Amino acid sequence: MLTNYQTGTFFDEMMKQDGQPKRHYQWFYQLVNQFSERDLMNKHETAQLNFLRQGITFTVYNHTGGTERTMPFDFVPIIIPRHDWEKIEKGMKQRMTALNHFLDDVYDEQRIVEAGIIPRDLIENNPYYYKKQVSGLKVPLNNHIFLAGVDLIRDENGDYRVLEDNLRNPSGMSYVFQNRYVMRQVYPELFFQHSIETLEHQISELHRSVISHLPENADVTSSPTAVLLTPGIYNSAYYDHVFLAQQMGIELVEGRDLTVKDDVVYMKTIRGLKRVDIIYRRIDDDFLDPEAFRPDSALGVSGLLRAYKKGNVSILNGIGNGVADDKAMYVYVPDMIRFYLDEEPIIPNVETYFLSDPEKLDYVLENIDKLVIKNVGASGGYDMLIGPQSEESEREEFKRKIIEKPSQYIAQPTIKLSRAPAYQEGRFYPCHVDLRVFVMNGETTNVLPGGLSRVALKEGSLVVNSSQGGGGKDTWILSEGGDFHA
Amino acid sequence: MLSRVADSLYWMSRNIERAENNARVLRVQLIHMLETSSQEVADRDWEEILEVCASASDYYNLYERLDRETLIQYLTISPFNTNSLMNCMNYTRENARSTREILPEGLWEVLNEFHLDQKDWQELPNTREHTQAYLDKVIKTSMTSQGVIESSMSRGTPYTMIKIGKWLERAEKTARILNVTCEKYKKEASASTSTNQYYYWLTALQFLNGYDAYIKEHPPTMESEKVLSFLIKEGRFPRSIRYCMEHVLEAVHKLEGGKVSHYSEDLFQMLELIEDEISRTNIEEMEMESLMEFLDHFQDRCMTLSRMFSETYYLIEPVRVN
Repeated sequence: MLTNYQTGTFFDEMMKQDGQPKRHYQWFYQLVNQFSERDLMNKHETAQLNFLRQGITFTVYNHTGGTERTMPFDFVPIIIPRHDWEKIEKGMKQRMTALNHFLDDVYDEQRIVEAGIIPRDLIENNPYYYKKQVSGLKVPLNNHIFLAGVDLIRDENGDYRVLEDNLRNPSGMSYVFQNRYVMRQVYPELFFQHSIETLEHQISELHRSVISHLPENADVTSSPTAVLLTPGIYNSAYYDHVFLAQQMGIELVEGRDLTVKDDVVYMKTIRGLKRVDIIYRRIDDDFLDPEAFRPDSALGVSGLLRAYKKGNVSILNGIGNGVADDKAMYVYVPDMIRFYLDEEPIIPNVETYFLSDPEKLDYVLENIDKLVIKNVGASGGYDMLIGPQSEESEREEFKRKIIEKPSQYIAQPTIKLSRAPAYQEGRFYPCHVDLRVFVMNGETTNVLPGGLSRVALKEGSLVVNSSQGGGGKDTWILSEGGDFHA
Repeated sequence: MLSRVADSLYWMSRNIERAENNARVLRVQLIHMLETSSQEVADRDWEEILEVCASASDYYNLYERLDRETLIQYLTISPFNTNSLMNCMNYTRENARSTREILPEGLWEVLNEFHLDQKDWQELPNTREHTQAYLDKVIKTSMTSQGVIESSMSRGTPYTMIKIGKWLERAEKTARILNVTCEKYKKEASASTSTNQYYYWLTALQFLNGYDAYIKEHPPTMESEKVLSFLIKEGRFPRSIRYCMEHVLEAVHKLEGGKVSHYSEDLFQMLELIEDEISRTNIEEMEMESLMEFLDHFQDRCMTLSRMFSETYYLIEPVRVN
């Protein structure tokens, strides 16, 4: 099947340069070789249809309105040996601990600024820094990051690096479960020889994390009421919201379902008002409460912040997390790890240049064709230039934008992102991949085994975002001793 | 249960029921059309179809005259008619989508499949054959949905909301169809032959999917009193006004655990009043005139009831469709 497959100069997840599979892919390779070409085509088709029929879609908006699309699914899984995974797991826990310390600190004493490690104006000028709204606030469990979705990549040596910490509203967890579900339905043969970490208890772990965030004034005699707050069916990640609410057995609410009376949050039910204790919100900070943030927000709930500040309701993730996960603050995360934990980062960052530094700016302008340029405030693959793959006109446009507002952009060397085989339209070819790892924090920290492997299905493309043609893969963590099979 | 969710379930149910009923009316009409000889009669028939399935005044705001093809288009896939089959099915899916976390997966899949296929329908040329197939698909989707609901939903509040929506929609549609039929009967009573009259009541029964059931009770006679009595008061026929209203009352009772509270008092009173009005009416002895008054009155009652129901359970506006 993979006879003409070329790994090239990239690190390949599955194949060695000599055309043989790596050891942890041996069984998979043999099993796939037993499929006929027809089997592969049929299974591929069935898998895609499965997603469409179930309406597992995300919405893409353009000038003509929204279109529901499925995320293309690729059946070649990313298999991670136990040993590698353990390191990732440790690295994630370390990183989340440091970032949580940072959030606590930055809305309180700002010791890290006093110590001269992070420049004050980088914080003060950050559009996601909500000092006025939440500084000095005690949050339940002292935990700001209930759920993070950390994007990891591997470089040409196969070393994992963190590309982004998503600490606000990371989406995609439902896909992890659905990818596994469809995979088991359509490719059951592949599971016979592998012993992999199950996802079965992960939803109850998530639920436990949610309800452990009891607000200060919660009524401890009855079990807490938690809800998932969604912007509604037109949100691109609506399916994610439906899935998580349904699986956790909590109510899926919209802003108009909630009301605040005497600084207590209630939901409107057919039997009148019912008190809400914990809100897992999937609405951005600035839309949460028109009283405290954007007055034009129709998605939010008036008075929510007051209730939050009074300790009558918990809001997950915490308000103001955006200050810690933008592309400029990212550069300082290794320093945060050293400062708060006195440890060296287990999983390093990707090297990043600030363009507000004139020396770096000159370097970047001269070498723009070799670099990746990103807007510090953008996400989802928007407002981004990939130097080696760009047109002259695009480079000129970015140069103009950078010169106009250097602090708005950062630059990173183009990393030779690792690749893995993908099977689409009847053939295997190498595609760039990354991995979004989900970290849940409550009374304990739990890293979901595996995560969402995203794949840039357009040949040669480096953009894995689903809004830009990326797809998903199942991710297998081999269980104890799972890489050996007699 | 959230009021918004209850509201969405209620409207989901009403919309798919409306789509099914309208599709059946159209399906029957497309066949009858072939048997009608005079153009004049045919045009009048279409006028009535418009009255049953949508609002005539809305139609004439858009078009100057009643043209058959335009009307079929208007009733099936027109985006400008809020009650077109396509719009009803879209509302159904949008309402289902916003309550997905509490609906059976199978129900969502049935509705989603219709939606995915619907895109293809819109591209197809507007032929009789395609229209027929589309109507069949709407009816089948509605029936399959009901099958999923009956066979897999717990008999709790969500289920009850769905059923109440369905029964209210049915009762109203039955009243509407009978009203139009009575009107026609009255207008043409002097001029028309008994064949024509036979045909009116037969059509009404077919519109309401009641022909087979009626024929078993009343071998092939088509007397207006019998048909009217059957469609209004037959307690065993699931589209009769009485059947639907009795079931709404029963459902609300269940919702309230058999108790009448201060907030549900008005609703219960109204339901009991309606039931009383139906049972006191002796259909077989009524003049056409007073029958029509009765039906008009009942439709007003339905509107009041729907409003009261919404108020009692704080239901809000249905999901908007962009």
